[in-house]
Amino acid sequence: MGQTTNDRLLAMTETAKEMVGTCIQCGTCTASCPNTEFMDITPRHMWRLLLTDHMDAIFSSKSFIMCSSCYYCTLRCPRGLELTAAMSLLKQAASKLELKQFRRSSLFYKSFLDSVKKHGRVKEMEFMTQYFMAMKNPVLPFAYAVLGLKLLSKGKVHPEFPFGSKGKLTALFNKVAELEG
Amino acid sequence: MNKAIGRTVVAGAGLSGIRSALDLAETGYKVLLIDTSDHIGGLLCQLDHQFPTSTCGYCRMLPMFDRDRSSQHCLRKGLVHENIDILLSTELISVEGEPGDLTVTLKQTPSLIDPDLCTGCGECETVCPVFVNDAFNEGLTKRKAIYLPSPQSFANAYTIDYAACTRCGECEKICPTGAVKFIEQDRETFKILVVDDEKIVRDSMKEWLKEEGFSVSTADSGQTALDLMGSQSFNMMLTDIKMPGMDGVALLTKAKQINEDLCVIMMTAYAEVDSAVGAMKQGALDYLTKPFDPDVLISMVVKIYHEFEIAEARVEKVDALILSGGTQFFRPELGKNSYGYGVLPGVITGLEFERLISGTGPGLDPGSGRLLHPQTGKPVRKMAWIQCVGSRDVHSGASFCSSVCCMISIKEAILAKEKFGRDLETTIFYMDMRTIGKTFDGYRLTAQEEKGVRFVRARIHSLSQDSQHADKGLHARYVDLGGIVHEEDFDLVVLATGQRPNQQMADLAAKNSIGTNAWGFIETQPFSMTRTSRAGILSGGSLSGLKDISESVTCSSAAALGACKVMHAAGKRRRPESDGEIPVDLARETPRILTVLCRCGSDFSKKLDVEVLEAGLARIPEIESLEIMDNLCTEEGWTTLIEMIEKKMPNRLVLGSCLSCSHKQKIKQLETSTGLASNLIETMDMVSVLKRYPGSHIREATQGIERELKILISKSRFKNPVPMERVASNQAALVIGGGIAGITSALSIADCGYHVDLIEKGESIGGNLLWMDKTVDGLDIQAYLDECVKRLESHEQITIHKQTRVASTAQRPGEFATVLQHEDKGHQTLLHGVTILATGGNQAPLEPAVGDSQYNVFTQKEFEMAIQDQTIHPEQLNSVVMIQCSGTRDERRNYCSRICCIRALKNALFLKEKNSDTQVYILYRDMMSYGFFEDYYTRAKTLGVIFFQYDLENKPVTEFTDGHCLVKTHDLLLDMPVEIEADCVIHATGILPDLPEALADQYGAALDGFHFFKEADSKFRPVDSMNYRVFSCGLSLKPCTIEEAVSSAEAAAIRAVRVLAHERLVSGKTVATTRTATCSLCEMCVDTCPYGARFVDSLEEKIVIDPAACQGCGVCAAVCPSGSAVLEGLGSQQMLDAIDMALS
Repeated sequence: MGQTTNDRLLAMTETAKEMVGTCIQCGTCTASCPNTEFMDITPRHMWRLLLTDHMDAIFSSKSFIMCSSCYYCTLRCPRGLELTAAMSLLKQAASKLELKQFRRSSLFYKSFLDSVKKHGRVKEMEFMTQYFMAMKNPVLPFAYAVLGLKLLSKGKVHPEFPFGSKGKLTALFNKVAELEG
Repeated sequence: MNKAIGRTVVAGAGLSGIRSALDLAETGYKVLLIDTSDHIGGLLCQLDHQFPTSTCGYCRMLPMFDRDRSSQHCLRKGLVHENIDILLSTELISVEGEPGDLTVTLKQTPSLIDPDLCTGCGECETVCPVFVNDAFNEGLTKRKAIYLPSPQSFANAYTIDYAACTRCGECEKICPTGAVKFIEQDRETFKILVVDDEKIVRDSMKEWLKEEGFSVSTADSGQTALDLMGSQSFNMMLTDIKMPGMDGVALLTKAKQINEDLCVIMMTAYAEVDSAVGAMKQGALDYLTKPFDPDVLISMVVKIYHEFEIAEARVEKVDALILSGGTQFFRPELGKNSYGYGVLPGVITGLEFERLISGTGPGLDPGSGRLLHPQTGKPVRKMAWIQCVGSRDVHSGASFCSSVCCMISIKEAILAKEKFGRDLETTIFYMDMRTIGKTFDGYRLTAQEEKGVRFVRARIHSLSQDSQHADKGLHARYVDLGGIVHEEDFDLVVLATGQRPNQQMADLAAKNSIGTNAWGFIETQPFSMTRTSRAGILSGGSLSGLKDISESVTCSSAAALGACKVMHAAGKRRRPESDGEIPVDLARETPRILTVLCRCGSDFSKKLDVEVLEAGLARIPEIESLEIMDNLCTEEGWTTLIEMIEKKMPNRLVLGSCLSCSHKQKIKQLETSTGLASNLIETMDMVSVLKRYPGSHIREATQGIERELKILISKSRFKNPVPMERVASNQAALVIGGGIAGITSALSIADCGYHVDLIEKGESIGGNLLWMDKTVDGLDIQAYLDECVKRLESHEQITIHKQTRVASTAQRPGEFATVLQHEDKGHQTLLHGVTILATGGNQAPLEPAVGDSQYNVFTQKEFEMAIQDQTIHPEQLNSVVMIQCSGTRDERRNYCSRICCIRALKNALFLKEKNSDTQVYILYRDMMSYGFFEDYYTRAKTLGVIFFQYDLENKPVTEFTDGHCLVKTHDLLLDMPVEIEADCVIHATGILPDLPEALADQYGAALDGFHFFKEADSKFRPVDSMNYRVFSCGLSLKPCTIEEAVSSAEAAAIRAVRVLAHERLVSGKTVATTRTATCSLCEMCVDTCPYGARFVDSLEEKIVIDPAACQGCGVCAAVCPSGSAVLEGLGSQQMLDAIDMALS
C-alpha cells in the first residue's frame, strides 16, 4: 500500500480512532461478536491495530466488512464505546477510497442502496443484476445461481424487474449527503 | 480541672468505627459508638478469612496496655470498654453546631427483647412460625423472625425482625425469663390516608392495613385528600402518582405544606418509576411499584411505623463526630444483570461465597469435605471469578475501580483450593490485576504458581445456561489474548462486586451539608483522607471510598486523631487513669471456694445429677460449698448470689451460668458489690458445656461438668490477686524524619498537647515533597508543604533538629533515651516516651544498563526535576516513552510500588497539556490506576496516550544509536514487535525504603523482606511495631501517595498519643515477672520476648519488665533455663494441678 493512501486512510480513520480511544482491550467485543469466526482479525485486535496506527493491517483484512451491525459490542463494552459506529466508519473509509480489495463489498452495498433509493425497499432481482453488472464479471451470476433458485422457490425473492422506476428516496439521500458534507 | 470529659460520636460500629472508638477510648476520651444494625463488627462478622493468612485477626485491634479496661475477646463477639458506650439499632439523623460543641440527633429502635434477661436459650426460635431469608448468610439460609443477630455475638441475646414478625405472641408465651415483651403498640392512633382513583385499590389496601391494626382513611383524588387533611391529621399517606386532576407528585408537595412530618409513600406503575424517584427527592420516603404484594406493602408500612413512631429520638452533646458507615456492595440484580445473578443457579457474589464456605455457613459437606453447590447440592468442580462487576463499567454507573476486589478474589480462589483440594479448578477473569500493596504481588504469584489458580486476562460479559441441560453448568464465552474465542462451563461463578457509597450516610450527608464527590462518596479535603467539608466531622474507613482492611484501619485511626485534636482544642479533659488499688494479699489464707451453679437453663435438670456432682466435689478440701440456684439473670437471682457471697464469705468464687450472666461487665459489678476481686472469680458457660452432651446421657454430662468445675477450682485455689502494676511513662515524642509523614505526625502529636522532637538528617524539611510540583489532581504541593513547614517551625510544642541523626538509643520501662548526633554541634540526649520512624524512602535509581543521560533517559523523579529546571522543554518533545515496573515486580524486588502508574499518568497528562502533538507511550504490565485514579487512565487514553502491555519475558529494551534512542517492546495483544523512536524515556523504578536496619533494631522494630517497616499486623495494626511505643508512617512503612502518607502519619500520631496521654500506664492482670534471686542474667528472655517488654538493668544487675508492654504470653517462662521468669497467676504448679484435676 502506497504511503499516500495510508495517509489518506489515517485522516479518514482519525474519528474512528478517537471513538475507541479509551479501549482497555478487555475483549468483551470479540467474545460477544456473532461473526468473529468469519473474521481474520478479531475486533479486540482491530481496535488495538487502529490505536497503534496499523492501518495497512486493518485494510488488508476484511474483518470490519463482516460486521453485521448487531450492536452487541456497543451494548456490552464496559467503556461505553460506540464500536459498531466505529466499524461502519471503517467501512465508509474503505468504500470512499475505492480500495481494490473492498471493491466487491463496496459495490454490493452500493447496489443494495441504489435499489432502496429507487423504491424505498430492496428489489432483489434489480439489486443483484446491478451488482453483477458493476462487478463486470460474466461468471459471477453462476456462483449465485443455486442460492438464487433456492430463494426463488421459497418465495424469498420476487422475479420482478421494475427497472427505471423513479428514485423515491433520492431527496432523502441527497439531504443526508448534504448534511454529512 | 472542672472541664468536661471530651466525647465523640462514632457512627458505624464496623471495623473502622471500632478502630476509631478504641483509639479515642484508650487515649482517655469518652466515645458513643452507634450502629444501625443489631450487632457490632460490621462486614467483618461475615468474613472468616483475611488474606494473606487466611485467618481473621480482628482481636489484634484490642488494647495492649491497661487492657483490663476492655473486654479481651474476639471483636466479632462484641466489645466492652469502660470509655465506650454502644447503642445498636440506632441511626444518626442530624448534626448541628461547631467543633467542640456538636448536637447530634439519634434515633434508636427499641428492642422487643430485654437483652439483660435473654439467656439465649433459643426456646422462642423453636416456636416462631415465620421463616425469612437470613441476611447474615446473604440469604443462603432461612432464619426465624426471632433470631440471634450474629452467630458469634457474646451478648447472645435474641432480637426480633419486626418487619417480618406477625405478632403472634408465641415467643412471649414460651420465654422462660420473660425477656420478650411486645410493647402494647397503639397502632390505632397511627392514621394512614390512601389516595387512589381506583376503588378496588383503595378498598383492598384499606382492608390489608386495617388487619394490621392501623386506622385507614381513603380518598379518590388529590383534592379530596387535601380536604380530608384540612379536617384531621394523618401520620402517613400512600398516594398513586397518576390520577386525573391533581397528580400524586403535586399532592405530595401540597400535603407537605400542610404537614411537614407526614410520611409519604408513592405508588406507581413500572413505567413511572422515574417520577417516583423524583418524588423521593421532594420528600417521599419510598415507593411501591404496582401491582404489589400485600406483604411488601405491610412490611414497608410497619418499618416506617417503627422508625417514626416507636423509635426514640435522643439528642447528645458531643465534641466531634466520626462517620464510619463503610461502603456497600454493588447489587448486580438491580442493573442490567447480564450474569443472571439471582436468576441462574450458581451465580453468587463474593460475599455469598465467603458465607458459603464459612464455619457458620451452609456450604460445607462435612462428609466429603467438598464444596456443595448452593442450589443443586452437587459437588462443585469448576469455579470462576469475574472481576469488575459494577466497577470500571460505565453501564453500571461506575467509571471507578473498586480497589480491593482483585485481592479479595485471589484470596477466595486460594481458600477454595486450600479447603476443597487441588482438583477444584479455579479461574479468575480480570482486566488488570491490581496488586497494589507491598506483599500483594507476591500473593498473586503464590496463587498462580503454588496453588494453581488460573488467571485469564479477559472480560466475560454474560453467562447463560441451557435450560434443558442444567447439569452442564454456567456457560461463559471469552476471548484470549491471541484472539481465540473460548467457550467454557462452570459449576459456580463468583461475581467480584464493586463498591457503592453507603446510602444511609449519603442521605445524612445530603441533609447536613456534608460534601460528597461525583459518585456519592463522602468527599474529603485536599491532602486529607478524613476531614470532610464540615469542621469537627470526620470520615473514617472506607466511607470516603474504597479501601482494604489496613487502609481502613489507618484511615480510622487518622479520623480518631482528627477528633482528638478537636477535643484538645476545645479544652476538654481526659478520663483519669484507673488507680491500681493494692488488693488484699491472700497468699497465706486457705482458699475457700464457693461454687455456684445456676439451673435456669432447661437442659440443666434433665442432664445433671446434682448429688453425684456434689459427691465428686466434696473431696476437694478448698470447696466451701456447692450451691445450686435459680434465675441468676433476674434481679432477684443476682441479689441472692450477692447475699450468698456475703454470708459465706468465700475468698474465691467459681460460677457456672449462661454467658449473659458471666460476661465482663457482670463480673465487674459483682466485684463492686461484694469486694471479691474479679480475677478471683472463675466463670463457666454452662450452656456450651452441656451442649457437648446431646441426648440424655446424664452420667457423661455430669462428669463433663464436674471436670470443667475441677479445672476452674484448681485454677482458683492457686490464685492470688496480683496488684495491677503501673509504670511511669514519658510524655514526649521523637519523630525521626522530616518528610511529609514526619511533619504531619509531629504536628498531629503537638496539636494534641505533647512535646515533639523532630530530627531530620538533611538541611531542609520536606523530604520528597521538595521536588514535587503538583499532584495528579492538580493540587499545589509546594503551597501545602510551605504551610505545613511554617506551622511546624512556629509550633511551641515542637523542636526541630536538622542535620541530625540518631547515634544510639537505650530503652527502659516507659522511656527511651536517644543520643542525637548533630553534624556540627555534637551530641545531645533526649528522653522520650514514643518513637515514630518516618524515615521515608526514595525512588530507586536507574539501573546503569538502561540509563544514558545524553539520550534523555530519566527516572520519573529526574524527569519532573528536569521539567522544573527547564533542562527539558515539554513543548519540544515529539515522542516520550514511559516504562513502568522498571527493575521492580520481578525476582529482585517483587513488590508493586503503587504510585508509579499514577505518576506516569500525571506526567502523560502534563505532556499532552503542554503539547497535544507529543506522542506519549506508556509501557506497562498491569495498570494500577486504583480507585478514583481510574478516571485519569481514561483521560490519558482520550487524549491519545498509547499504552502497550508487556510481560516479564519480553521486557522493553532501549537502544542508542547516532543520537537516537529507540525503545523496542513487544505488543502482547498483537504479538508483534514494536519500535518507538523516543526523545525522552522515563523509567518508573519504584520506591526503595530508607529505613536502616540498625535504626529499626535499636527501637525494637523489625524490617520486612523488602526492607520496609514490618507492621505488628499488616491488616489490623498497620502502623504499629511489636514494641508498643514505636510506630512508622509514610514511605518507610509502604509505598503511598501524599494523601496516604498523611493518613498513616495521623494514624501513627494517635497511636502514639494513646500512650503519651498517660503519666502512668497500667498493666494487664496477667504479667510476667522475674525472680531475681535465681536469675543468672543469661538474657534469653530479653531476646525472646516478642513485645520488647524485658530489659537488662546493668546498674542493678537484673532483668526489668515494662508491665504495660507485657502481654502475658509466657514465652519468657518457657525459655528461662532456671525457672526464674514466671507468669503471675499462671505458675507451673497451678498448671500441673489443673491437668491432674481434669484427669482425676
